[in-house]
This record gives sequence, C-alpha cells and structure tokens, in this order.
Amino acid sequence: MKKSDSSAGPFMHDFASPNPCTWCDGCGDYGIWTAAKRALVTLKIAPSQVLLCYDVGCHGNMSDKIGGYRMHGLHGRVIPLAAGAALANPAIPVIAFGGDGASFSEGVGHLVHGIRSNYRMTFVMHNNANYGLTTGQASALTWQNQPMNSSPNGIPEETLNSMDFVFSLKPTFVARGWSGDIAQMTRILTAAIRHRGFAYVDMLQACPSYNKFATHEWLMQHCYDVNADPSTSLRAGGHDPKDFAKARSLAVDTQNRVATGILYQTEDVPAFHERLKAREGAVTTPVEEVKIVDTTQWERVFL
Amino acid sequence: MPRLAIKIVGAQGQGVNSVGEMCAKGLKRSGYCVFGYREYMSLIRGGHSSYQLDISAEPVRSSVTSVDIVVTFNHHGIEKNLRDLKKGGILLHQTPQWKFRNADDQAFIAEQGIRLIELPTEAILKKLKAKPILGNVLITAAVWSLLGQSQEQLHALVREQFGHKKDLLDLNLACIAEGFAACNSIAPGVTLALPKADLQWKDHLLITGSQAMGLGLIHAGCRLFAGYPMTPSSPLLTFIADMQNETKMVVKQAEDEITAAQMMTGAMHMGTRAATATSGGGFDLMTETLSLTGVTETPAVFIIAQRPGPGTGLPTWTAQGDLLLAVGSGHGEFPRLVLAVSDAQDAFDLMPQAFNFAEEFQIPVIVLTDKHAAEALFTQPSFDQKRAVLKRGRLVTDPKELEKLASADRYDPAAPDGISKRWLPGSEAATYLAQGYEHAPDGSFDETPANARAQMEKRLKKMEALKKTLPEPLYIGPKNPETLIVSWGSNRGVILDVLESSACKKRSIGYLHYQYLWPLRTEAFEMLSRTAKRTVFVECNHGGQLASLLKLACGRDVTQRILTFDGRPFFYEELCDRILSVLQS
Repeated sequence: MKKSDSSAGPFMHDFASPNPCTWCDGCGDYGIWTAAKRALVTLKIAPSQVLLCYDVGCHGNMSDKIGGYRMHGLHGRVIPLAAGAALANPAIPVIAFGGDGASFSEGVGHLVHGIRSNYRMTFVMHNNANYGLTTGQASALTWQNQPMNSSPNGIPEETLNSMDFVFSLKPTFVARGWSGDIAQMTRILTAAIRHRGFAYVDMLQACPSYNKFATHEWLMQHCYDVNADPSTSLRAGGHDPKDFAKARSLAVDTQNRVATGILYQTEDVPAFHERLKAREGAVTTPVEEVKIVDTTQWERVFL
Repeated sequence: MPRLAIKIVGAQGQGVNSVGEMCAKGLKRSGYCVFGYREYMSLIRGGHSSYQLDISAEPVRSSVTSVDIVVTFNHHGIEKNLRDLKKGGILLHQTPQWKFRNADDQAFIAEQGIRLIELPTEAILKKLKAKPILGNVLITAAVWSLLGQSQEQLHALVREQFGHKKDLLDLNLACIAEGFAACNSIAPGVTLALPKADLQWKDHLLITGSQAMGLGLIHAGCRLFAGYPMTPSSPLLTFIADMQNETKMVVKQAEDEITAAQMMTGAMHMGTRAATATSGGGFDLMTETLSLTGVTETPAVFIIAQRPGPGTGLPTWTAQGDLLLAVGSGHGEFPRLVLAVSDAQDAFDLMPQAFNFAEEFQIPVIVLTDKHAAEALFTQPSFDQKRAVLKRGRLVTDPKELEKLASADRYDPAAPDGISKRWLPGSEAATYLAQGYEHAPDGSFDETPANARAQMEKRLKKMEALKKTLPEPLYIGPKNPETLIVSWGSNRGVILDVLESSACKKRSIGYLHYQYLWPLRTEAFEMLSRTAKRTVFVECNHGGQLASLLKLACGRDVTQRILTFDGRPFFYEELCDRILSVLQS
C-alpha cells in the first residue's frame, strides 16, 4: 500500500473488506461500521495508520469486515488491550469497540479506569442493551422487566444508568449517537478520534432480533441532536459541550427524549501518557525504543 | 568451605533489614561473598522477621540452619531463635537484665557453650541523645566488633549515606565508637574469626533477584511494564517504577492483573517490548490473556514469582508449585516457552532471552522465579553487557519488504516452522487482523475444518522448532555420574554449595539444572539418567513437578525425589543430610 496522498484519499473503498457482513437484517452495526469508515476517511487516516481493537460480541464481527490494522481480543477486555497499544505508540490512533455486556458487566473495572486514566483512545460502546451474540440475554443496560433469554420474568435488578455512572468518573469526552444517524455518528467519531484523551462514545443501536424495547423506530422517535443549531432544527438543543453539569443532566435524563451528539468535551486535561513524568521530553515512542540497553550506570548503587 | 552465618531477628519495622543490608555491604566490601536470606510475615508491623547473612571468602549461595551469631532486636528473638545457634554461638540482645526461666533453655546454653551479650542500647542512645533508629548503627557496630573488623570500614559506609548531614554523621560515628567500646567492655575477647578475605568480592554487586531481573528487563529493551501488586512479584514492580525517571520506561500499576496482562499484550502487538509480573493467584487471572496471545501469535512475557498456594497460601514464603500451572495454563492448545531463573545472574541474563524467544517464535513466554530467587541477596559480578543480542525474528520493517506483503502473509500456514511474517500497526503495508477467533491467513473468521487444522498445525509446529533451538540443561559433574541430581530454579544455589561440601565432593554426583522447562530437552537427561545408579529430583513442591514433566516428555520414571513444601527453601545442612541419606539407601 502506498503512503496516502493527503489530497486524494483514503477513500471508503480503502477500508472495504472482501468478507460479506454477517449481521442480522436491520442491525445497528451496519450504521456504526459505515460511520467508523467515514470518520477515518474524513480525518484522512489511512488503513495502515490506525489500530482498531474489538471486544467479543456482535460488533466484534466487524473485525474482518473493515480495512486497517485490527486486533480482536477477549470479551470484556478491549479497553486495557487498546490502552496498552496506545501507550506503546501514541502516534497511531487507537479505536476500541465493545458492547454493553462487556463494558458494564464483565469488564466494568476497565471502563472505570480507562476513563479515569484518560488514555488517548476512542471507545465506541455498541449499546444494544443486551447480549446479542449469545442470543439475547439481559445486560446491565436492558430495561427492567423485559423478558429476555435466561430471564423469562425480566431481570430483578434495576437497569444501570450508564451515563450517570460514566459522568461520575469525570470523563473528558462523552458523546451519544444512534445507529440510524450515520451523519451524526460520523461527526461524533471524527471528534472522538481527534480528542486528546479517552473519548467515550455511547452508540445506541437497534437489535432487531433481541431488543424489542428500544427499537430502530423507538430510537428514531426519541433521539435528538443537542449540538444542532436551534434556529434551523425543530428538535435541536443548542447545547454547549463545555458545560459539564448540563451535559450530565442531558445524558442521564432519557425519560421523554434521548439527547445525542457531543455531550461533553474538555481538552484541558492531559492524556495519561502526557502526564507521565518519566516520559517528559521523550521524542520517540516506546515502539521505537526497543534495543539492548547497557545497564552499567545503574549498577553503582549495588556496589 | 569455611563459612559463617549471622541471623538478625526482630519485629517487622524494627530495623532488621537495615542492619542486614548494612552488614552485608560492609562484609562484601571487606572481601567476603555474602548470601542474604529474608524471612518475614504477611504484615507490616510486628510479627517476627529475620535477615540472615551467610558469609565466606569462597562462593556462598545458600543459608544454613545453625548460625554463629543471632542478633535480636527484642526479647521474643532471645527465646525463639536461641536454638538457631550452633555450638559456641553468640546471642547478641538488647533486653536489660534478661534471665532465661526455662530450664531447657538454660541447659541448651550450658551444653552448647552459647555466649550471651547484652548490648545496653537504650542507655547508650540516651547518653548520645540519639533517636532509636540509630540503634541500627550501634548494633551493626557491635556485630562488626565481634567479627574482628575495623571501625573504619563502617565509617566509610555511614559517610556515604549521611556525609551531607554533618550532625547526623557525627552521631553515626559516635554510635560506631560506642558499639565497639561496649562489646570490648562487656565481652572482652569474644570474637568470631572470619576466614581470610578475598578482595575479588569487593567489586561485586550485592543485589536481589528482583533487582537483577529489573535490570535484565531494562537491558532487554523492555519499554512498558504493567503490574498489579502481589508478593513476591511486587519488589520487581517497585524497582522498575523507581527506575522510570532514568529509564523513561512506561510503568503502569494497573487496576488488576487482567489489565496488566492485556496492556502488555496490546503494547507487544503495537511493537514495543513489554512485560508483566505477578504471583500464582494473579497469573490465574491472566491465563485467558495468555491463551489469546497463543492464537493471535503475539509475543508476550509473563513473569510469575512463585509463593506457596493454593489460595492465598503463604504470601511471603517460597515455593516451586506453579511449574505445571505455567506449562498447562490457558485454554486450548498453543505453543509457549516456560523458563525459570535461579539467581541474580539468571534473572539478568534470561530477560533478553525471554523477549528474543517471544519475538522470534511469536509466542507467550512465561518466566518463573520464586520468593527465594526474587528476594535473596546475591553477591554477583558486574553483569556482562555484551552477551545479549536483540533478536526480533521475522519482524518486517524494511519499507521495500513491507510493500511486498499481503494480508495473508500474517498467518501463512506454509511459513517455515510455522513462524509467519509479522509487521506492526503503522507500517506502510497491507493490513491484517490479529484475530482471537480461529482465523484464515489474513485473520478473517474461518471456521472450515481444513483451515482449523492448518492453523492449529501451523502454531504447534513452532513448538518443535523451539525445542530444537533451546539449549540443553546445564550440567556440572563427572561424565558418568553414579548419582544424578536434577533440579530447577532457586534450588541451584544450595545444590552447588552442598556438592562442594567435603561430604559430597568425593562422591560421583552430577547436577543437571533446567533453565528452560517447556518444551523440555531430554537428551542429556536420558543419557545421564540411564547410566546413573540413581536419579534424584530436588524440588520445592509436593509432587515433584519437573519429575512429572520429564516423565511426560521422555517416559523415564526411575527417580527419587527430595521435596520440601513448607514455604522454606532448602537449607544447606538439610539438603546435605537428605542427599547423603539418599546416597546410602
């Protein structure tokens, strides 16, 4: 592959894969997949200049339907995998994809510390509010009282308010998109990939096979763009993403309408690797620093 | 070999380690080889801990059970450690007007000719208006006097530490003078003569296995280290972290062991050298990631500092019970390398090897150490900086070569020895998927039986190639030994010391030491074991795990086993006796 010419490309076809998609008809993953490619094209990031990391779930089946360097890891563990990669080479954008099962049950600790550490990476949370790939079990984000596979009476627990949880961790970037609005998702992902630290992107996603509550139609009716200009859009918000308190209340309150768009962003907080005192003044990345190192200078204290 | 041992005991936090380290440094600089062994409990204050120094002018790599001097910080040590003394030993304590009430103790003292010295520490410190911490210097001075050493050697040590603070330095010097004076007036003429010094030791390092491993990681070009605190792997994390401002390494104390393992894997995939370290319980959490690195063929380095399990077990003690864990952990079948370090030299030398094998074969490498190897203090020659070579295997970096690559080269089942080309994210080349599912050569999902067979065979072929590349175990001894001892890990030190003892020297005993434990080279073992009258395995576990593995690898099961599994390493006299009794059987 030739080095990408900044004036021409990369194009959508550069991210094309010969493998046919295996998602269900109407799956929200098609939209997120398209938006991800469009965001990379918009940012002129060539396939060879990105690392896409996938958790295990329906979204993970994207891993071979897209171009770019990719790694498909374990269920629930994509955040530390991507964080390790990002720390090793901060020059390459790292985008991690995971689902609501992996992020709010199996790997919830990683989400907490990913946001807290503010690694320079994007995390796209495919939120279909259930475990799709294992045929529709309830996740922590499934609406209460919904009969699901393995919980025919609905789950006894209350649904976790994922946004309230995320905002409690002092994130530096929070956005929410929905799988029917590819243009908005593209705009969100473009900003997320550019973000200085950890960008948390909640993608509400239709799951026609197992999610009978927050369907594509439901999402279409309830979602509105908080970033749109209120004078030109009927359902717009005119929200300022610098306003943390407002962003949190918008994000948490999904009673009547669901706020989407870039809810909160601050570039004032340095990313984890920028805060490492040991790395101050480093002009190379850890990937470039692999060599046999003479340790004689550090032996004196042992004499 | 003339050897001497001092055991310093007291509650944790009282200064046992400070005195131990100070004595060790002073003795090494005076021309002695020192082997330091620490025992402590899983708590921060109180408890009962010890720091033992075994000293000789010849190489010493083990601890004895009966020591020449016990130095105790509190009265518990007077009773608890009295019987650690050998005939004519000295008990140096600091408890005013101590009287033994137990008749057995009195009899022991009388029969063994134990000499008691009460150091009036409190009174001296009061006189000098010195803080209790200076008691450490006072005690060290008393020990120094008993060993017949000069005050000047200690002066140099404290000057190094406190030279910039004159008041403190003066107090230290006064404590040294008082310590010597007190010993001379309370116990005139009581000394234990050290053997004649050998100045070769002067320029050696005094270093723990963890510190040597830390330097080894730095030496190997490791640029990211992720860990989660767990004894006895924590001292390595501490050392690496303390060095970060100098080495500029990325050091991350992760939120759990899974994170640490995943970060290492992500960083290795991106193309740097990264490692993680833990103990058995933490490694249990890492094993799913281990399996992932197997299928994605990501080079990986996992370090396990063993301690006794199961469960939380004995957190601050030693064991070799995780060899089979290292060999068998992680679901599914995949190639791996398991190796074990035995001392500071190994801990340094084997780190570049671990990374080289990981990258050359694109496999996970598990490095075993144990509490004994990790925390013992070794007298070690300055490390050879010239021996290690950076080997990155089939990593493609040349732009012209990169241009020629196709995605399907990544997991090409036809690659020689199953080792396909690897290239890094960011390279101007065809991209691929590092895939945790079974996959086609480019990483795409592929569940067809022919592909599943081809990829499994590709990966496991690497194991055959690796086995041929690995060095044979190290052998010391006659060509056709009557008795063959086989062991691994930190047992090596005590075995070498025992084999040099007068009782064993004249016997026909060979020692086969395994550094590389899986896959196993068995040629040397089979040859030596077949002609030997007896083969004896020495291991710190209940089952004889290396013996079991060798049986699995070559079918030979003709062995006797000397095992221990009480959290303690083999002590010199103990192993000597157990080997001699096997020889008589």
